[in-house]
Amino acid sequence: MKWSAARAGLIAGNTFREAIRMKLFLLMLILATAAFASSFLFKEFNFGSSELKFIADFGFGGMTLFGPILAIIVSAQLFIGEIEHRTALTILAKPLYRSEYVIGKFVGSWLITMCFIALLSICLIIALWIRESSIIQADSEAFTTGRIINWIQVCAFALVQVLKLSMLCSLVALFSSYATSTIFAMSMGFLVWIAAQLQYIASDAWSAGSNWLYTVLFAFASLVLPNFHLFEIGDYLALGETIKLVAYLKLALYAIVYTAFYLSLAVVAFNRREF
Amino acid sequence: MTYAIEIESVTKDFPLPVRGRKLRAVDSLSLQVESNVIYGLLGPNGSGKSTTIKLLLGLLKTTEGRCLINGKSVYEPSIRNEVGYLPEAPYYYRFLTGIELVVYFARLQGIKKREALAQAENLLFRVGLEDAKDNRIGTYSKGMLQRVGLAQALVGDPSLLILDEPIAGVDPIGAVDIASLIRELKEQGKTILLCSHLLSQVEALCDRVAILESGRLLAEGPLDKLLVSEEEKTLSIKNLDTEDRERMVKTAISLGGQVSVSRISLETLYLQLIGEKQRKAKLEREDSDQ
Repeated sequence: MKWSAARAGLIAGNTFREAIRMKLFLLMLILATAAFASSFLFKEFNFGSSELKFIADFGFGGMTLFGPILAIIVSAQLFIGEIEHRTALTILAKPLYRSEYVIGKFVGSWLITMCFIALLSICLIIALWIRESSIIQADSEAFTTGRIINWIQVCAFALVQVLKLSMLCSLVALFSSYATSTIFAMSMGFLVWIAAQLQYIASDAWSAGSNWLYTVLFAFASLVLPNFHLFEIGDYLALGETIKLVAYLKLALYAIVYTAFYLSLAVVAFNRREF
Repeated sequence: MTYAIEIESVTKDFPLPVRGRKLRAVDSLSLQVESNVIYGLLGPNGSGKSTTIKLLLGLLKTTEGRCLINGKSVYEPSIRNEVGYLPEAPYYYRFLTGIELVVYFARLQGIKKREALAQAENLLFRVGLEDAKDNRIGTYSKGMLQRVGLAQALVGDPSLLILDEPIAGVDPIGAVDIASLIRELKEQGKTILLCSHLLSQVEALCDRVAILESGRLLAEGPLDKLLVSEEEKTLSIKNLDTEDRERMVKTAISLGGQVSVSRISLETLYLQLIGEKQRKAKLEREDSDQ
């Protein structure tokens, strides 16, 4: 029997469908949309073009904060929840490879975070467009060079977040592949999320290492954990800086390598798991 | 000869949190199940029945020995095309409808969408869920969950069915329906491994049984042989008129025999009463529809 992407796709599709029907997704979406919609409250004060940066920051912040939370909860809940409820037994008793199950679960969880980021991006673009239009009407002199919001850069930010979340989803899949409870997988997910945000500190310590023990430890942490700080491009974009295509490609490659690494470990752990 | 199931000197140990200690769930178990039989796996809780089933499904790895299905290793995923599994107390996706669930499992087995839908419709009809097929599984009763579980186990027309407590939680009428379906499946040439605590059900259905205790095999063989006791010889006589019956009773007593009037079981009485009532209600509904 050959490994089948179609079977993994079926599992991914079902995982996605389950997540969509989970109230959590809706709650997170409402929360995130409300958070950055609240930036409109400041329209009483006309900040001019800097207000657009403010709204963009709110939107980027929503994606940066709620995206990982959703990724961790959904990945853990949909993966290990199925094992806890023993639904996985019936599925694994069907003719499929366990790696198909792991990949399917990962793709399904990642798809849901993609949808979340895509919906937030659409909301952000609409909000920025509306506000920009109203500011142009009120003060057209400030926009003599035309509209200042670059929609492509908003999409680029969303894409980079999706890449970052692929690593986080695969990490949670790794923890779920051997965990015995959802709480453990979620806790580990949150812990690693924070650690990955601070990974650059370990990386700097590795470079500046004087003691061999610390050097080895920091080197290990730097290599095993991805550096999520690299994916924080919101500030550059908000400042109007342009990021070259090659930088995006490097980020994509970085995310692919780490995702593949974590998924491979998850497959190995899941293959060894007994039910 | 290739057996539907072969368990060869299988031992399964689970490590315990105490260092170096282990729990032996299955102990040197050997079984052979021929094709086209209904085979009962009996034993009290913790006797190793579920572990044996999980070993057969490749969900657990043996510590010693090996398990084969139709002569092939259970760790080969393709072998599971030939196996249908109904777990004990199944829990399925609450957000799917009955038909969506069966189609999902069918498609996992590589069945094309249209064919999967046709199979799902047919199987849900066979297990008596045709009216509830479009309802969400979250709204299903325990008995309905068993039925939908049975439908997913039958997807892909497997030659071997492993049914773990198929009648648990099902009402007596439903239990009779499922028992008939199991017999029908045997007539179609399938092999059924049945794990149940309901001994009357096992007795009525199974050709052979194995009784486990603490992971060890206590007894194994055809029911006809296992249930005949050499010391107790009881005859059951039917279809005599009153006069002949009295004469037979007198003769039996004169020969030193003990005569008692047999009575129907509670299950039979329930089936007669409820079944008749439901049948009448159904007829009335049909009459009023016409």
